Amino acid sequence: MAETLQNLSLGFSVALQPPVLLYAFVGCVVGTLVGVLPGVGPLAGISLLLPATFGLTATNAIVMLAGIYYGAMYGGSTTSILMRIPGEAASVMTCIDGYAMARKGRAGAALAIAAIGSFIAGTGSVIALMLLAPPLANFALRFGPPEYFALLLLGLLVLAYMSGGSMVKSLAMATLGLLLGMIGIDQMSGYFRFSYGVVELGDGLGVVPIAVGLFGIAEVLATAGQETPPQVLKPRLRELLPSRQEWRDSVMPIGRGSVLGFLIGIIPGSAHIISSFVSYAVERRLSRHPEEFGHGAVAGVAGPESANNSATSGAFVPMLALGVPSGPIPAVMLAALMVHGVSPGPLLIKEQPDLFWGFIASMYVGNLMLLALNLPMVGVFVNVLRVPYSFLYPSIIMFCVVGVYAVNGSVVDVWIALGMGALGYLLRKLGFETAPIVLGAILAPMIELALRQSLAMSDGQYSIFVSRPISGTLLAFGAALVLLNLVSWLVRGLDWRRRIPLDEHGENL
Amino acid sequence: MTRLRLALLLLVLTSCGLAQYAAAQEPYPSRPISLVVPFPPGGVADLTARPVAAAMEKTLKQPVGIVNKTGAAGAVGMQFVATSKPDGYTLLLALSSISIIPEADKLFSRPPAFTVDQFAPVALISADPTILVVRTESPWKTAKEFIEDAKKRPNQISYSSSGIYGTLHMAMELLSHAAGIKLRHVPYAGAGPALTALLGGHVDALASGPSVVLPQIKAGKLRALAGWGDKRVAALPDVPTFKELGYPEAEFYIWAGLFAPKGTPEPVLAKLREAARAGVADPDFKAAMDKLETPIAFKQGAEFQKFFEADAHRLAEGVRKVGRVEQK
Repeated sequence: MAETLQNLSLGFSVALQPPVLLYAFVGCVVGTLVGVLPGVGPLAGISLLLPATFGLTATNAIVMLAGIYYGAMYGGSTTSILMRIPGEAASVMTCIDGYAMARKGRAGAALAIAAIGSFIAGTGSVIALMLLAPPLANFALRFGPPEYFALLLLGLLVLAYMSGGSMVKSLAMATLGLLLGMIGIDQMSGYFRFSYGVVELGDGLGVVPIAVGLFGIAEVLATAGQETPPQVLKPRLRELLPSRQEWRDSVMPIGRGSVLGFLIGIIPGSAHIISSFVSYAVERRLSRHPEEFGHGAVAGVAGPESANNSATSGAFVPMLALGVPSGPIPAVMLAALMVHGVSPGPLLIKEQPDLFWGFIASMYVGNLMLLALNLPMVGVFVNVLRVPYSFLYPSIIMFCVVGVYAVNGSVVDVWIALGMGALGYLLRKLGFETAPIVLGAILAPMIELALRQSLAMSDGQYSIFVSRPISGTLLAFGAALVLLNLVSWLVRGLDWRRRIPLDEHGENL
Repeated sequence: MTRLRLALLLLVLTSCGLAQYAAAQEPYPSRPISLVVPFPPGGVADLTARPVAAAMEKTLKQPVGIVNKTGAAGAVGMQFVATSKPDGYTLLLALSSISIIPEADKLFSRPPAFTVDQFAPVALISADPTILVVRTESPWKTAKEFIEDAKKRPNQISYSSSGIYGTLHMAMELLSHAAGIKLRHVPYAGAGPALTALLGGHVDALASGPSVVLPQIKAGKLRALAGWGDKRVAALPDVPTFKELGYPEAEFYIWAGLFAPKGTPEPVLAKLREAARAGVADPDFKAAMDKLETPIAFKQGAEFQKFFEADAHRLAEGVRKVGRVEQK
């Protein structure tokens, strides 16, 4: 402990040097902007700015890139809440209840809760990163394909908790999402599925075009199609802050989201995305008012937003402690280190204490900066809602198109987003929810790859899923969840869904 | 209003025409050049392309911008360059996979995204042989022990790769055929996850570029058994090559080369070759490649053409030997 404190003071002596401080600030600002722009997520932001860091020192470069990463996680909630456009996959869940809160005039409260939840999660997870990185990193590596598959299967159970309305409809949408996720190259055989000669479809449908189309564009179309235009919201200053009740409802979700996000975040792969899904499901399961979810439950914002922020620090655990690229974003950051001649590996912490501890300390500072940056911005951002719809909506569509194009520079992606927008509009008219489609499309390729890798590892023996301790435990946990629900359903014939009035389906049309 | 628009349109059109006319008259290069990297920023291709571009700018006296056009394991960007105008203003920095993708397309009898003869090779920048690594606690101390054990237990020893028909897969397959062994393939989505899988103990072996695994070898986590190169890797002088061990067919490099679309005029190609030759001799470029621990292996003209053709032939053969993965 004394050693940690000593190291940390070394870290702060690095992190508080004016240039490092400056680059952390630049990273946070850029990250916030990247997060606010629809479609452009942290990966696109970091990739675009990576060349700009080549001229800096290794510490400045990594501090700035990390600032972009967690800054984007802060900023990602903004468009989700205000316009129902997810900045990236991890903020899909925030779209649901965050946007519902905004429609009720609680946009300010939702943004404030998201910022504060992100701050608590960010700071807490840096402490965890600092104290637990080396031992946790070795544990994280034990997550192979079978464990990943079991975890994703738990994520799939989340889909069942997604719907506020009809279970059949939401499962149908989840299935459609899973089917959309089948498009693209078969990772095990190299066969192109449903690509019809379009090379760009070889990678499948991207998460960003699907989410931006189904949420953002469909929302604009649906609102524009209403006979009576919705009233322009005029948020007042005292409504910006969360009420006492909202605070009380957020405390536990923030705490749980932080822990959950960190634990899921350390797992190599794209686990940070599902951290927000799992957090949402957990909050809904534990909530005394699950029927409020989907209609502006503050816990549905607080939990997932904390989880996705905490997961960013989690993702640094295997990256810093072992030098393994634990996901696409850490991979770009490792490349930034290599360009500076720092070879990332298990010896990094020992050989480059300045860099490691400076990085840790800069994350404390960066989180403070982001809170200071984002809380006052809440007042600015909510003013977007004052813009008359005839100006706001065309600009939203424009930002959606630009954002989707910017991710890969691909026109095909723009067409996918527009097509998804039309599909989303149609489905909403028919009373279907579109969130399960997005979740299905995100999970399908991950589940498929993990399942087939596991079977390749075991030469086709399904026993690999139960014989390995971690995956066996996770699967048993999932089975228990399903059984418990089944029992209560059999015994009481009741489910909280019964408490939802039948007539509410038409509400959002 | 309409008249104004028409006037604007005319203005734009004429200025485009003028620009093109001017381009045809002036010596190459008269405007910025884009170097297409078909992989995302931070990957081997991208990290090689950036110092190459910076070094070539010095000779060409025009900016060389990097365009990351990613998708479908590089096929999207490669197809883009293959079908772009052969005027020397759109170049490609490709890795060995350029020769694999058309072969895999052929295997599935689908229309190829592009073919190798749509490109004019300009210069080879680097060529890194892959090396075979296992975890330190694994029983195999030498490549010989590994191969003998694999012979005894066919399809029991597993390895990870960057993806089916990817570079790391092809390296292992070439070895398997050369040594007459059968290994169990577990593809991952990229070289990073493949390394993570080996470190986590989910697979037994991996063929990888030296720069990626050197830190893990130094830290005592991984052991290098042998290399696919024609010579030993400078950073690992004690690790033999498969050639020395009697498997000359197991030769494989992850290389990075500069290409132009086929049909680029010879004077332009000559200018590009000159810029590439001056570029690799540039001290800034050397320093950048040193930091990446990637040795420069410069070849151009007929020499690169020969290397490229031999490599493409070897890989095409490899893809055909692997064939289509049977469904279980």
